[in-house]
Amino acid sequence: MDQLIQQFLTGLSIGSILLLVAMGLSIIYGAMGIINLAHGEFVMLGAYAAWFLQVQFGMGLLISLVPIFLLVAAFGWLIERFVLSFLNNRPLDTILATWGVGIMLQQAVRLTAGGELRYVKMPEALSNSTAILGVQISLYRVFLLVASLVLFAATWLLMNRTTVGMKLRAIIQDRPVAASFGVNARRIYGLTFAYGAGLAGLAGALVSPLKSVSPEMGTGYVIDAFMVVVLGGVQSLIGTVASAFILGELSGVIAFLQNDTVAKAIVLLAIVVLIRFRPQGMFATRVRA
Amino acid sequence: MKLTRRQLLKNTAAFGAFASTGFPHIWIKNADLAAAAAGEIKVGVLFSLTGTTAIIEESLNKATLLAIEEINAAGGIKGMKIVPVVEDPASDPATFADKARKLVVGDKCVSVFGSYTSASRKAVLPVFERQHNLYWYPTLYEGRECSKNVIYTGAVPNQQQDEFIPWLINKFGKKFYLIGSNYIYPKEENNYCKKLLQKHGGEVVAEEYVPLGHSEFSSVINKFKSTQPNVIFSTVVGDSVVALHRQYHAAGLDPEKMPMASLTTSENEIAAMGGEAAAGHFTSAPYFMVYQSPENEKFVAAYKKRWGADKVTHFVSEACYFQVHLFKQAVEKLAVSDITPPNIRDAVKGQETLAPQGKVRIEPENLHTWLWPKIAQAQSDGQFKILVQAKDWLKPLPYAAYPGQVCSENGLVVQN
Amino acid sequence: MQSKSADLTFLRRTNAELIAILAVCAIFFVVPVLLNNDYLLNKVARYLVLGILAMSLSLSWGYAGILNLGQAMSFGLGSYAMAMTLKLKTVPVHTGPQGLPDFMVWNNVTQLPWFWWPFESQAFAILAGIAIPAAVAAALGWFMFRGRVTGVYVAIITLAAMVVLNLVIIDQQQYTGGFNGITDLAQLELFGIAFDAYGRSTYYLVTICMTVALLVAYAFTRTKAGLIIQAIRDHESRVRYFGYDVGAYQIAAFALSAAIAGLAGMIYTIVMEFASPTFLGVQLSLSVVVWCAVGGRQSLLGALLGAILVAGVQGALSESATFLETWTLVMGGLFVLIVLFLPKGLAGLVASLWALIRQRPLRSVRGVHRIEQTETGA
Repeated sequence: MDQLIQQFLTGLSIGSILLLVAMGLSIIYGAMGIINLAHGEFVMLGAYAAWFLQVQFGMGLLISLVPIFLLVAAFGWLIERFVLSFLNNRPLDTILATWGVGIMLQQAVRLTAGGELRYVKMPEALSNSTAILGVQISLYRVFLLVASLVLFAATWLLMNRTTVGMKLRAIIQDRPVAASFGVNARRIYGLTFAYGAGLAGLAGALVSPLKSVSPEMGTGYVIDAFMVVVLGGVQSLIGTVASAFILGELSGVIAFLQNDTVAKAIVLLAIVVLIRFRPQGMFATRVRA
Repeated sequence: MKLTRRQLLKNTAAFGAFASTGFPHIWIKNADLAAAAAGEIKVGVLFSLTGTTAIIEESLNKATLLAIEEINAAGGIKGMKIVPVVEDPASDPATFADKARKLVVGDKCVSVFGSYTSASRKAVLPVFERQHNLYWYPTLYEGRECSKNVIYTGAVPNQQQDEFIPWLINKFGKKFYLIGSNYIYPKEENNYCKKLLQKHGGEVVAEEYVPLGHSEFSSVINKFKSTQPNVIFSTVVGDSVVALHRQYHAAGLDPEKMPMASLTTSENEIAAMGGEAAAGHFTSAPYFMVYQSPENEKFVAAYKKRWGADKVTHFVSEACYFQVHLFKQAVEKLAVSDITPPNIRDAVKGQETLAPQGKVRIEPENLHTWLWPKIAQAQSDGQFKILVQAKDWLKPLPYAAYPGQVCSENGLVVQN
Repeated sequence: MQSKSADLTFLRRTNAELIAILAVCAIFFVVPVLLNNDYLLNKVARYLVLGILAMSLSLSWGYAGILNLGQAMSFGLGSYAMAMTLKLKTVPVHTGPQGLPDFMVWNNVTQLPWFWWPFESQAFAILAGIAIPAAVAAALGWFMFRGRVTGVYVAIITLAAMVVLNLVIIDQQQYTGGFNGITDLAQLELFGIAFDAYGRSTYYLVTICMTVALLVAYAFTRTKAGLIIQAIRDHESRVRYFGYDVGAYQIAAFALSAAIAGLAGMIYTIVMEFASPTFLGVQLSLSVVVWCAVGGRQSLLGALLGAILVAGVQGALSESATFLETWTLVMGGLFVLIVLFLPKGLAGLVASLWALIRQRPLRSVRGVHRIEQTETGA
């Protein structure tokens, strides 16, 4: 029984990390149809920002979350403005352009901060482990879980209960008609992309104490994040949450029984099969014809 | 689509920017080297500066360059300067093979210093054997190799594990969990470890391999908790070391009851993972930065002065350092017109030098190195505390795990 | 009459492209005469192989509209097929009984696995290098196109399939060499010629394969099937309403593209003297897409030359002292610029210039009215 709970909690933890990373991507892809291969680099930027703020100004991780969000969001806004806005009707070309941007970001970080692994300190208060349902789990992982759910709630509220969110949803449904209602699509897209990037940055900063910070850390996350978004259903936030946790649990269990490589392979295969039979993912938004 | 002048101008500008990179003078490689005057000795330096093992390999690059600079500052070899040709193979064995071909066939280096992972060494080995060149390999590895085109200055299993495993069994207990990165080095080390465990009454609780660069260890840590080993024998490398230690620490496991014993965790990885995650775990190696000797003090001081006061030295960078000096000694024995890789190899057999760890010697039989094994425990300040030191230097036996096979001066001899 | 002059223009354009292809191939045949350096010759051969790979993707992407983000999978399968047969020909250099590859010995494998047995025959390997990628692609294609999966999802599925194969190869080290790949290969011997990677024989082998592949691909685009494929790219449902089995055509194009990539993979192993799981990697696959985009995805020759150009510049920049640190940055930046301002790649630029010279508005090529790129993405 202990092992089961342990496994369940591990799956939740992996799922929460996936969710953090995939949420930004879900917004960007779902809302704008942009396949952002630079998403991993936004995650990496967030992690480096955390390291930088820690080393230069001695700021703890928790305090630096807000500046990190704003910083990476600003980057995202710039990229949207100067690169992606030219690619309006060419969704597949966004793959190429964002990939190029990703390479540039990676190399720029490597040149300025150096290629060595960097170290972000875990906040003191969260460094221990705690017992949940009789099983020891790292307090920090619990914090990550809570953080991911909080961010999800915040995003959902933003999308569904604010004016900006409403305008975004209008643009997603029908851009020309929304424009005729006076909605400035340009501005909304910029803000949306910035928000998605900011979320990615937060994810990077939050995950960094558990792993290490290096210029290549982002590439691993992009594919995983995409799988989560595609599985969950494009344009469905709830779908993203559900699929993140399902995939997290699945990976955890298979990794426990076999090993991590096999786990990853099986999960990918499962997703391939699912997309084939249900391309709209698990939670399809009902669209009127 | 009507072609407008504006369109054409835009397109041409973009194309022009692109084409401008084609100007030869900015991309012909080291044109000064291609027309190198006599009086220069070209050597290759092949360590990853990017990618998952760059964490440690870039320090190897630095140590090699430090040694080369010191030798050049003292007048070079017989008045000739050593010219290093540096390549970045990006932690990928395929790129290693490619860059090795470039250094050997394209640049015609007389020797190449390189490699950390065994994967990269295996990938470049055919190049050196086919082209009759010489590879200087500074990293501890799994043995079971007898190439006449490689000088091995790192420790082999008998030098690292023979004293380590029995000591661990004595101190902590019999149950071992073997975890390594998924390639040949951890597998062979585990092969040897299992033989030693059998000999000393130990037991293998589990044996697991994770992909290189892997960083999500929660399932592995769950398995630690469920199997409760006495020792976790870790042969993960690169980024994985840092992730494993940090997640072990975050999960609240206790190094006094379930320590991680590693052959690869060095001062470098400790700097990346932070003191608290590192403290309490053990490493066996021939050299540690805290080791007291006049040569080591000089080495550490020179390294810090050249590369930064916050830098650390470790057992692989120390080998990089002394192997360049051995190279110099070997070349000095040759006439200028005779400086070829096979001659350098023959000249280095039996050479000795005073390395930071103590006196080391290249064993003529198998081209491996006599070293001084030590066991140390990591401290929370980022350094090690040396607990056990070998009283004498140990002969390298790359085939110790395979009785009946011996690496002799003429190659591998299989006795039945 | 208008149709007659349209026919003539059509014919003229056809011949123009064919002549361009033959001219380019001829130029590459002549290179060894000018270049006397073994190492550089090997490098050029390598870029040519990558060019063939990019050309195969342009067949699938530019002509059939199928963005295969896993093109490297076919490439890798071909390269492993060749590597396996060459490995079995090696006299074991390191420890190991007769006939077992050294990495199997290190992994304590005692017997040659069943799927290695057929590769004792070189002929089988050469056939397999083309047939297996084609078969795998056909299977994957059947899986996707029968289900009418399109656009982005095709890209994702092909990428995922490649990653899975990559993971399996790395995981099953004892049978595939894993992360190390398969190194230390014998030289291929065909018709009495031993193909040394640094020799002219290999270079000519590469150029011959390149010519053949180009001509085969070109021929395909000129057949009726080729025209239908392009129609499918432009407007799938319309072609379906005409009664054509869209799925079958897509599978055929996909498989042909994979076969050419497999051929490229085989000669790549000969040129590089090893096979590695990075040949099936995300990095290479995305690079192929980049090369195609730069060269012009709708032009076979453009993709080929684009790959040679980009890979060549990349190689040169990464080795120059000035750019050692910054070459990736520069490449990324240049690439973004090209995607933004040269959507049809360099081939598009050439076409624009050509049209300008002839003072004619640029009409859509090959007589088929091409719909401008719409939201479905071209």
